[in-house]
Amino acid sequence: MVTIVIRSKPDRIIPQFYQQKLRLSTLYPSLKLPFELTKMASTTLTCYCSSLCSTLQFLQNQNPISKPLSQPVSRFLSTPISPPILTLQNPSLSQLYAFKKDSQIDDEEGDDSESVDLPDFKRNAFARPKLSDVLPDDIEIPKPGTPEYDDILEKLLPKKSPPPPREEIFAVVMVGSRQYIVIPGRWIYTQRLKEANVNDKIVLNKVLLVGTKTSTYIGKPVVTNAAVHAVVEEQLLDDKVIVFKYKKKKNYRRTKGHRQPITRIKITGITGFEDYPASTLEAETVSS
Amino acid sequence: MTRVKRGYIARRRRKNSLTRNITQQKIRALVSAHRDRDRQKSDFRRLWITRINAVIPEKEVYYNYSKFIHDLYKRHLLLNHKILAQIAILNRNYIYMIYNEIIKNEDSKEYLEMI
Repeated sequence: MVTIVIRSKPDRIIPQFYQQKLRLSTLYPSLKLPFELTKMASTTLTCYCSSLCSTLQFLQNQNPISKPLSQPVSRFLSTPISPPILTLQNPSLSQLYAFKKDSQIDDEEGDDSESVDLPDFKRNAFARPKLSDVLPDDIEIPKPGTPEYDDILEKLLPKKSPPPPREEIFAVVMVGSRQYIVIPGRWIYTQRLKEANVNDKIVLNKVLLVGTKTSTYIGKPVVTNAAVHAVVEEQLLDDKVIVFKYKKKKNYRRTKGHRQPITRIKITGITGFEDYPASTLEAETVSS
Repeated sequence: MTRVKRGYIARRRRKNSLTRNITQQKIRALVSAHRDRDRQKSDFRRLWITRINAVIPEKEVYYNYSKFIHDLYKRHLLLNHKILAQIAILNRNYIYMIYNEIIKNEDSKEYLEMI
């Protein structure tokens, strides 16, 4: 595995998720590699895009046989990389599996003036890459449950705006011989209201019950002068229902489709109930 | 020689073929839908009745769903079972308020005398 990391500042290791992966060839067209970069060849390019630095540094190959580069390579290579530096000439599997953590890096090669501290790879060649490979040991990742962790989460998670404020009121309304519980701001489907066009304002008079937070107005049978204001949104047909009649062994089958005409109504407000006698939870004493 | 039962092997072979044609499945599906659309109405009414019955307070007087509905009609309330059941689930206090309204005045006397 060859990992190519471009460092903008020499002492800073940029964690993987801040980096973007780019194809080598698009960045450096003059770079002619002797081999194709396939996935399994596993060249991970990590570039810090906004500021390309002046040096390319090749990190150590996982293969224990290869030796680390002693000199950094210049940014725009005029000459193609010679194969012996990037040693990936068909490494045999046994060599890769033979890799151990305390690898056989030759530290005795002599200190070059430009030797680089290469980080230890803490995992096997074919293991899944993790953040801990690239992060230095100094970084403290906050644990879940701590307030710092929650702060980070708050910033990262998408913020849902709170639901719009609604009057805390409801009414029971009778429309088309059906009763509905109705809240201002919501819509309901009713039977088709024939003369109503779209965006017509409608007043529903048969209000059987109005409930607020503090009291109810129970209509006997109707709350007088109460009205529910609504706007017609749409005149449509309901979903199709197949009416199928069948008698067994008598060769009788009839199929019919049915779409009920329907109106969608949006409720805008409930008014007119304040004068009506209200009732509350306190039970009245029984008059003996 | 009478016919000898051949054991369970033949039966097991036949058990794998619990199938119906697609046309048969379709017919049964449509017929069930048609029939159950009518049953739906009575099914839901049953459900609402049990829910209302569960919520009605039985504390002081012997009181249950049947008496509740009787008083509802006496007091000229038009609320139907669906709405009452929904209120019973969502805002239970309103059922108690309705109950208080209904039980006022004369009717409660009769029940008290019954005890």
